[in-house]
Parts: sequence; structure tokens; C-alpha cells
Amino acid sequence: MSPDPFFLLVAIIFSLGLVGVVSRKNLFIVYMSIELMLSSINLLLATLSKVIGDASGSVMALLIIAVIAAEAALFLAIIIHLYNTKKTLSSDDFTDLREVN
Amino acid sequence: MPETNTLEFIIFSILTLFMLGGIIAMLTNKQTVFSAFGFLVAMIGLAGMFALLDNRFLAIAQIMVSVGAVVVLSMLTILTINAQEESLPDEPYKYLWLIGTTLLVLPFTALLYKVLKTLPDYFVGLETINTKVVGELLFSDWVLPFEIVSILLLTAMMGAIIIAKKQKKGENS
Repeated sequence: MSPDPFFLLVAIIFSLGLVGVVSRKNLFIVYMSIELMLSSINLLLATLSKVIGDASGSVMALLIIAVIAAEAALFLAIIIHLYNTKKTLSSDDFTDLREVN
Repeated sequence: MPETNTLEFIIFSILTLFMLGGIIAMLTNKQTVFSAFGFLVAMIGLAGMFALLDNRFLAIAQIMVSVGAVVVLSMLTILTINAQEESLPDEPYKYLWLIGTTLLVLPFTALLYKVLKTLPDYFVGLETINTKVVGELLFSDWVLPFEIVSILLLTAMMGAIIIAKKQKKGENS
């Protein structure tokens, strides 16, 4: 099997993550879309590690998995904090850092 | 085409269907819990992809961290928050937004695929990437990133505790 379908899948998954970040307002779905983009990079690294014939790509993917775990902890903590302050999950309502108009 | 290749391609197609279905369910559902289920399906499909690439260690790590920790943590958070209908965002033009953004991102997808296609179009015969290979590399060439990641995890843990803890009255953010 050639790596081509894997490359196509990586492109599609990354783009779908981008679509989720841009078009949805629910904070949880934005978070999951970001995870999805990171995971697509993981798949790309695993594929490349087999194309080049070097296991370093897999090690890099492993480190990215650790980064994903750290990001999950922080992002969920931030979501809990935001929900406790405003009782909403819509990203449109959090405009505190926008300049006063 | 040899028979193993056909079998691999069939497995690849099934996993792709799983992943894309999960992702589309994640993007379109209004209820956050169902989105998390779609995300779960996508992550399990990704672990299957790693297994298909003969990358045993990464497949197990994906199952353990992404499925076992990240998705379960998200679901726990979603169920703890227990957001009612009125605290979910109001998105009357959700499908319009999704389709419009997809059309906007499509050229970028094509470009990404075009760039990736310039890479070699065959797999080098590599031995199975198991724990031994990854461990040897991780503790020889990749020691410094490994240590940095451990510090990052510690910092993220402390940050998460500090951010999520209840604030006392009179203490401004």
C-alpha cells in the first residue's frame, strides 16, 4: 500500500479541524477540533517515519501525544473557569479582552 | 496488485469511514456529549491507522492517552458542567457556516495534499516500530525533548489546578 491515501486523509482531517475551529461557537467543539488538528499531524509523522525508514518520526509523535494531554488538561480547566464566570459555553460571550467600544 | 495490499486498502477504507463519520458527527451535533462520542470514534479510528502503519507502540499510546485519558476527561468535564439548553450557543446558521467554511478551506486541502504528494510514493521496508525501537531512540537521541515534555506536563498540571480552583470572594481574577 502506498502512502498516498494516508497523505490525503491527513489533509482532509486537518482541514475538518480547521472548519470546526472557525465555524462552531461551542467551546468544547473548538477544543476537540484543535485536538483533531494535532492528531492529524501525528498521523502524518507516523506515515513519514515509515516512508523515510526512520523511527524518529514515531518518537516525535509520542512527544506530541504528551503535548496533547497537557493541552487537554489546561483547556478543560480554562473552560470550567469560563463557565463558572459567565454560565455559558458560547465563545461569542467572552469579549472581556476586546477593547472598550 | 498482491492480495495483502487489497486487504490493507479495505481496512484503510473502513477506518477512514469510521474517522470521517466520527468527525462529521462531532462537527454537526448540537449536544456536546454526542460530539464527544464522535471524537471518541475518530480517535479510535486513528489508533487503528497507527496499527495499520505497523506502528504498535504509537497505537497503544494513542488508545491509552487520547482515548483513555483525553476523551474520558472531556466527557467528565462535559457531564460535570451539565450545560442546559440555554447556556449552549445559539447557532441558527450552523450548517451554512459549516458548508461555507468547508468550501473556503477546500483549496487549502488540495494544496496540502499536493505538497505531501511530492514525497516518495512508497514505503521503505522498516521493521515493526515496537517499544524497543522507540525506547532506544527516546533515551538516546531524544532525551532533551523528553525531559522538556516532563517539565511541560508538570507545569500544565499546576496551571490546571490554579485555573480551575474556585475563586474566593474579593479576590479579583
